[in-house]
Amino acid sequence: MNIEPVPGGPGTVAPRAPEPLSRRSRASALLTLAVRHPAVVPTGAVVLAVLIGAAIVLAAGLNPISAYSAVLAGALDLENLDYTFSVWALICGMALAAAIPLRMGEFNLGGNGQMVLGGLAAAFIAGQLDLPSILLIPLAVVAAGVVAGAFGAISAPLSTRYGIPIIISTLLLSPVAVAIVSYLLRFQLGEAGSAVAQTERFPDSAHMWALGSLSYSNMGLILIIVLMALFWLVDSRSAVGFELRVIGANRRFASYGGVRVGRLAFGAMAASGAVAGVVGAIIVLSPPYRLVDGALLSPGYTFAGLAAALLAGGRPAFVPLTAALFTILQVGGGGMERSADVPRQLSDVLQGVVIIVLALRTIVDSRRTGRSATS
Amino acid sequence: MTTVPAVALVGISKRFGAIVANDGVDLVLSRGTVHAVMGENGAGKSTLMSILFGLVSPDSGNIFVDGKPTTFSGPLDAISSGLGMVHQHFRLFESMTVAENVVYGAEPRRNGLVNRKAAHDRVRELSARYGLDVDPGAVVGTLSVGTQQRVEIFKALHRDARILILDEPTAVLTPGEVTSLFAVIRRAADAGTTVVLVTHKINEVLSVSDEVTVLRDGRVTGRFQRADATSAKLVHAMTGREVTPVANSGSGSVGAAVLRVNNLTVVDHHTVRVTDVSVDVRAGEIVGIAGVSGNGQHELVEAILGTRRALSGTIELLGRDIGAASVRDRRALGLAVIPEDRRGEGSAVQLSTAENLTLGHHRTAPVGASRGLRRGWISLRAERARARDLIAEYDVRTSGEQLPVGSLSGGNAQKVVIARELSHNAPLLIAEQPTQGVDVGAIEAIHGRLLDYRATGGAILLVSHEITELLALADRILVMYAGRIFAEFSRSEATTARIGAAMAGAQAETDIPTEASRL
Repeated sequence: MNIEPVPGGPGTVAPRAPEPLSRRSRASALLTLAVRHPAVVPTGAVVLAVLIGAAIVLAAGLNPISAYSAVLAGALDLENLDYTFSVWALICGMALAAAIPLRMGEFNLGGNGQMVLGGLAAAFIAGQLDLPSILLIPLAVVAAGVVAGAFGAISAPLSTRYGIPIIISTLLLSPVAVAIVSYLLRFQLGEAGSAVAQTERFPDSAHMWALGSLSYSNMGLILIIVLMALFWLVDSRSAVGFELRVIGANRRFASYGGVRVGRLAFGAMAASGAVAGVVGAIIVLSPPYRLVDGALLSPGYTFAGLAAALLAGGRPAFVPLTAALFTILQVGGGGMERSADVPRQLSDVLQGVVIIVLALRTIVDSRRTGRSATS
Repeated sequence: MTTVPAVALVGISKRFGAIVANDGVDLVLSRGTVHAVMGENGAGKSTLMSILFGLVSPDSGNIFVDGKPTTFSGPLDAISSGLGMVHQHFRLFESMTVAENVVYGAEPRRNGLVNRKAAHDRVRELSARYGLDVDPGAVVGTLSVGTQQRVEIFKALHRDARILILDEPTAVLTPGEVTSLFAVIRRAADAGTTVVLVTHKINEVLSVSDEVTVLRDGRVTGRFQRADATSAKLVHAMTGREVTPVANSGSGSVGAAVLRVNNLTVVDHHTVRVTDVSVDVRAGEIVGIAGVSGNGQHELVEAILGTRRALSGTIELLGRDIGAASVRDRRALGLAVIPEDRRGEGSAVQLSTAENLTLGHHRTAPVGASRGLRRGWISLRAERARARDLIAEYDVRTSGEQLPVGSLSGGNAQKVVIARELSHNAPLLIAEQPTQGVDVGAIEAIHGRLLDYRATGGAILLVSHEITELLALADRILVMYAGRIFAEFSRSEATTARIGAAMAGAQAETDIPTEASRL
């Protein structure tokens, strides 16, 4: 077989004129953008989780449709909305605490410790100082943010100076804080003569301001919404937010570009811890207006928030939505148990499945980029 | 010739979204020949090779192996049909030995266990047959890049590959290693192996290939036998136009020293990387640093940028001692760097082109602001507008500034890095391998920009492995060897032979030590 030159010239063919961006190629570029849209994978994860959950319910011999409608009814019933929103605020707050470090590619698993330290600081201010509400409540919230922020920030230099990963140090420091708070409640700060380890009820001046006649949602909800908006603004429009995202995308690139990684990590971990602390303060300053040992942790806001942040990929615009999803699961789980006879643990199963699907996505992504790196 | 070709690809077409990567490509590989597949970045070489190796399935077209129509559903199919591929980025287990890497996936067994001795023998046998000296027991991570590449080749040969695809194999090699690689290629072809050499370097094609297929914009634009191939014809087929090389005329006025490095020593993990290096770069001057990769050039650059601390010595930028300053302060004072490792250090592949262009410019106008109310805030509109301007100015081929840099071809991603760093208009530019992985046509454009930078009074420290690049651009050339400035040449003294000899440590060694002396 002979190899002949292509006809039309000595080994060459006429060059093609570059085509203008046709409508078709523009459409397909749009399609590429749509498929790459950050909402695609999380939505898929949720759909898949719902399907798997349905399969589990079916396998248990129950009706998935009535189970899911019971979840929705339980969470979104008009009478329950007040309560649902109050839970959403707390899950959203913990999601925010997880999302901030997630922007620089780090996991804060110490939300529990930061939250209870925040609760402790708020309880201390609320129980010790005799001030009018207008001073006392902000002071308690700020104190919670400062104490929990300082605690969260410890993990940053541990990582940037001593090489201890943030995911590890936050995880391991958290039970220390929880145990200290528990000890203080039992033996130092607890209400004398009470069978439960808890502080005394705070004076009325330390009760978080109500929102109109709502009995569960209070100013804490507004505070969280403001923090979310602030996070969105800083993330998308500020130099610091940009640098944080660059660190998350490629730390070496960030250092090379002049980003002060250590300083930024410190700030991000402090902010993350502070938000968790504020959540603790909101819980403590709401009914029953006491710091009760274990009461901050048992509803599992930290884990639900972390799951919501992961599902949102840390993106500020999605965090409220994913937090809403986990709120519905958590609040509606009780309703499902009552009316559809499906154990509320199904909520936990669904949360778990969402996390697993997201983890799978990370693996698939890294394989795909590993392959495309050579093409 | 009437023999059946080893492989024939006929009418291969492949689209990725709006991009036509291959458009009716025919590629015929005669048995026992070295066949070069040439083309600029994005011409469709990589896609064609991925199709040949079963990584990607074509939209249309047929593959014939030994005359028989074949479809590959994955690389394993291709391997069992006798193909082997050596990727540009190696796929080796760095913590395992040469023998373990070579036999991985096709291990000689005894009683169900891997037969280590047989594996070692196999590596020795391959070493002897192809004239390559590789220690089967050596841990791959400790070997030089050139040796790691031999391990990759052995991996393919161990599986009795009759068709060996080498993707840009010389990109990471020293001149000496290139020579010995070409000897291996020749030996393999003479033994009946069909070798496909994917490259964009014309001298390689002319020195080792028997046949050439040139691609441009996904189509075949030229087929040559070695006898008819000339440099001019190949360039024309690749670029569709005549390319005139640019060179430093040597004229222009040299100003005051912008960078002064005095007696710099840099240590990394108890190994001395840079020893007592002194370099001055003056305004309006390009100082070239030649050297085989791994002789301390990169550590020198890192020490000047500030991502690595020096053990001793001083670094002055514009007369100020910056030895203790942060990267940010050094950059603010007047330093821009085009780094060697584009993917690892020079960009964030999942961030958009616009964001990649913004880093380092995000606290200054027009994207950010250094004072006033907007200080610390970014204007997304200004970011996009600036990105679009730079994309147009530097001819970055992309369908949008919001797409991730990882979706660009290597050459276009490099243009993004160059655009970002040149647009600082910093008094000092450090350019490390600025044309690495860049098209023939784009190389001249980048060289032109560096010369313009010099003409407007910029000082450039140019680190390169390409002697031709240094000869074309540099006013002075320093050669680094084993962490020291080993030789210095003025423009008039510098020749390829002299620089090449100094790069090898002046002795005519084929295997150049890349490990610097240990502390």
